[in-house]
Amino acid sequence: MGGRAVRGAGREGAGRVRGAPGVRGWAAAAFAGGAGLIMMVAVGAVGGAGERATENDARVAASLYEVQEVSDADVARLLDGRVEILAVRGDPAAPEGRISPASESGPGAYAYEAGSLEPSAWISVTPDNRGRGWPWTPTILALLGLLLISAWALARRPSPPPARYPATVALLSAALLSLVAATARQWAHHELEDLSGAHLARGLRAAEIALAAGADPDRAARVTGLPWATTTALDTPEQLWTMPREVGAAIAATPGLRSAPAYTIAAGGATYHGGSTRLAPRAVTADAARPDTAVAPPPPPPTPDTLHLVFLGYEETASPTIPLAASALGSALLVSLVLFLLPLSTRPRALRRTLAAWGFLAPATALLLLFTFGPLLFSLWISLHEWHLVDPAHPFTGLANYRGLLADGSWWSAIRNTVVFTLHVPFAMALALALALLTRGSRRAVRWVRLALFLPGITSVVAIAVVWKWLLNDGYGLVNRALEGVGLDSVPWLTSPDTALASLMAISVWMVVGYQMVVFQAGLAAIPRDWYDAARVDGAGPLQRFRHITLPGLRHTLFFVLVTSVIGSFQVFGLVYVMTEGGPLGATDVAVYHIYREAWEFLRFGNAAAMSWILFAVVFAATWLHFRFLEGRRAHA
Amino acid sequence: MGGGFRRFGAARFVRWGRREAGFVSRAAQGVVLRGVEKRFGDVTAVDAVDLEVRAGELMVLVGPSGCGKSTMLRLIAGLEEPTAGEVWIGGRCVDEVAPGDRDVAMVFQSYALYPHMTVAQNLGFGLRVRGAGREEIAERVGRTADLLGLEELLSRRPGQLSGGQQQRVALGRAMARDPGVFLFDEPLSNLDAGLRLRTRDEIAALHQRLGTTMIFVTHDQVEALSLGQRVAVMDRGRLQQVGTPDEIYRLPGNLFVAGFVGSPPINRLELARDREGRLAGGPFQFAEDREFGAATLGVRPEDLALGGVAGGADGTRDVAAGARDGAAGTRDGGAGRRGRLARARGRSDFEATVLRVEALGSEQRVHLDGPGEAGWVARVPPALQVAAGDRVGVSVAWERTHLFGPDGSRVGAAPGPGGAVS
Repeated sequence: MGGRAVRGAGREGAGRVRGAPGVRGWAAAAFAGGAGLIMMVAVGAVGGAGERATENDARVAASLYEVQEVSDADVARLLDGRVEILAVRGDPAAPEGRISPASESGPGAYAYEAGSLEPSAWISVTPDNRGRGWPWTPTILALLGLLLISAWALARRPSPPPARYPATVALLSAALLSLVAATARQWAHHELEDLSGAHLARGLRAAEIALAAGADPDRAARVTGLPWATTTALDTPEQLWTMPREVGAAIAATPGLRSAPAYTIAAGGATYHGGSTRLAPRAVTADAARPDTAVAPPPPPPTPDTLHLVFLGYEETASPTIPLAASALGSALLVSLVLFLLPLSTRPRALRRTLAAWGFLAPATALLLLFTFGPLLFSLWISLHEWHLVDPAHPFTGLANYRGLLADGSWWSAIRNTVVFTLHVPFAMALALALALLTRGSRRAVRWVRLALFLPGITSVVAIAVVWKWLLNDGYGLVNRALEGVGLDSVPWLTSPDTALASLMAISVWMVVGYQMVVFQAGLAAIPRDWYDAARVDGAGPLQRFRHITLPGLRHTLFFVLVTSVIGSFQVFGLVYVMTEGGPLGATDVAVYHIYREAWEFLRFGNAAAMSWILFAVVFAATWLHFRFLEGRRAHA
Repeated sequence: MGGGFRRFGAARFVRWGRREAGFVSRAAQGVVLRGVEKRFGDVTAVDAVDLEVRAGELMVLVGPSGCGKSTMLRLIAGLEEPTAGEVWIGGRCVDEVAPGDRDVAMVFQSYALYPHMTVAQNLGFGLRVRGAGREEIAERVGRTADLLGLEELLSRRPGQLSGGQQQRVALGRAMARDPGVFLFDEPLSNLDAGLRLRTRDEIAALHQRLGTTMIFVTHDQVEALSLGQRVAVMDRGRLQQVGTPDEIYRLPGNLFVAGFVGSPPINRLELARDREGRLAGGPFQFAEDREFGAATLGVRPEDLALGGVAGGADGTRDVAAGARDGAAGTRDGGAGRRGRLARARGRSDFEATVLRVEALGSEQRVHLDGPGEAGWVARVPPALQVAAGDRVGVSVAWERTHLFGPDGSRVGAAPGPGGAVS
């Protein structure tokens, strides 16, 4: 700073002008890089889908080739002559020299080994170049944005920019980048739609060719290379069940759809293409080229006379939305970062310090983002989808999971059970406070009592649960035996809906009371003796001292114990899992256990994630209320 | 706590019984300790103390830290139970009376304000737990706040107050109950120097105004002497001397009191019998016929006077005669004596070299290299021209010196210059 002052105002001003465009240049570069990244993602998504389509074409061609009745010319006709078939029957060595497998044959050329056991043919497909254009609209937008940012970067200002200025530019950059990303997404969407439509049309044609050639209808469905292609009319629920829920529901709800030659279903954010073709009458006329088919024609299938196809849209499997949004967001963040560093660029020491600080923070930040915030946001993302573990399709359903849960009685009964369970916390705290007051001091006996009370808190929940399960067993449990021993009736501790939850609450009190007691003792030790002395001189009796000194002095401790205990009890799982498994009759089905079952027994992850977030909201609201009423009262008084 | 639980029933009975009387303005109460002893395990904190604090008196207990003065205060308050002996307050033995019913109020070093209560609630707490009515509490709190200038702070909490304000509230909490005895446990030690002086004056003024008995504990001897009507000096659990500040200073009962009171501390010289049977030490010899083998001579720094030395290294330089504090010295002021020589070689009791001079503005402290191994310090007027390295003649005001016997107790003044060796 001192050196800067000596250098003089003129040079300092020159330095700023020299320094600032550097950073502004970086900002423009960051913007250009972000826009370029968006273009690459968009083009890449379409290109990847195009490659997969070509690969699929090769696979369809090979499947069709496998159908013995189909001629090579039919296969070539299917792909508009873009196919070259190198038969290797009887001459396995021949094609090796002429054509190499897909990975080595250069871009666009695909080879496919037909034949399930040993290769019978190499099929090479020339890529269809449709859908590989350049996204001009977003490109022009990006160039315009770059022009704007560059103009700003080059603009020479006599005075330093006001503090709000970089923020404005960052906001503008973010908006422009989002616009670019949105148009790029729109373009990619169109291209992928085209690819999907072409794919569907090709699949239908492949089926027609196979059927015309007299293939088995089941086989005909298989050659299409389309998911959920079936030769039935999709009447049975099982067939509808195998496809995404919305698609199945839409097909079931619209009878006309099943016979429509082509249709699209927009469901859950993805576009599904479907279509059907009438089964051609089986060619029974003897064909000279294929005498074997005429000899033994298989019996015609009894009912299905239409081929029903549903194609999972490309948008769902290779949607560019997320990477585009991510690259737009990342670029905007980068531009903002550069603009944040802009005011620091004229103060190298501050810049170095800031960078060094973030360097040290980086590992922790990365871990936090990766293992805490990442999974958190991912679960939020999952909760907005229908996310079944075995179903590869995760259609976006918005708030449908949440809406469904609002009407889900069993979920709310689980929440109610959890809330009732949480009522053990005040009992435990009162007991813990009494014990803390009784077991102060350091006499040997008192120390042992404290240890005994604390032990359950550090014992494994599962071990505790197993032991209590034995103790409370209806037949041979020690507790019931003891009751019978003194002439009382035995109690169905864990097997009656009336007592099971109360039993778990009692065990939970026993588990947490030692820990709470220790925390309370720490809180009591922190209350200055002088307060008690002053109260005694003031004439306060033991109860008044407890009321006016101990309780207010423990206020923060009580609050801490209350909040942590309530949160802990909302998360109760181990006891329920081991002792009652939510039963009997769902009487102990608490929220976390319910979520566990939804996710890992019924595999409905979307639902489970939505439940987790509802539970989070409930816990958050409870904690906030605590803060508001217990802590807030002091702050606002 | 334990004692509180045990005495709970009796305490309530007493409290309700005296409920009405508790709030009328009462006369100050005297406090009497009879053979009070307090042991904590093997440690004796207070050892057989007999002390009488007269009604309306401001008594200061002073002593080094750990001397048992705070324990004594807590015994009076009832926060500790004596191991032996009795405590009487207002002509009543209070050994079985709970702290709240002893008619005492206490101001703590940490103030011990209740942090979750407002200032008004703090002031009224003692009345509230006694079951006083709302109007009465408000009236008392208002009156106390008025007296101490706390009206603006009544709705604040202790955490929002400065140290001085907290101290005031602590004082007010004691006053609101209108007790017979005030107990102060080092209430000023957490204040900065300026505020401490002001608050000290305020407490003195308050005492004059209320006329209540006050017992004030401090480790600061200046505070003790300036504040107390009588001062009780304690050391190692024992009462060393009780008297007015003047008595304590002029006639210290023993070596400890002499050393503890006064700043800079009293100058000492160990004396022993020489072959001729005279007490001697350093340059001094005393014809002392009392029957002890050794003794300690104590001379306060202001009882030393410095003079010039004839034929000294810089004999031409004027060394003004040192004033004897109180007597001729300060009353005339140093300036009038400037330049007048006191070269009477024969009048000085010993000669010493000046090691260091502390100029404090109102006085100078001259560190000398004699007479014994440990040098003495003389307090002289600021006008005296003396510098490190000067050779000076020192004369002693023998009539104000102290001679302490081998057990440390004072036996009288030293015999005087006649016995001094030339």
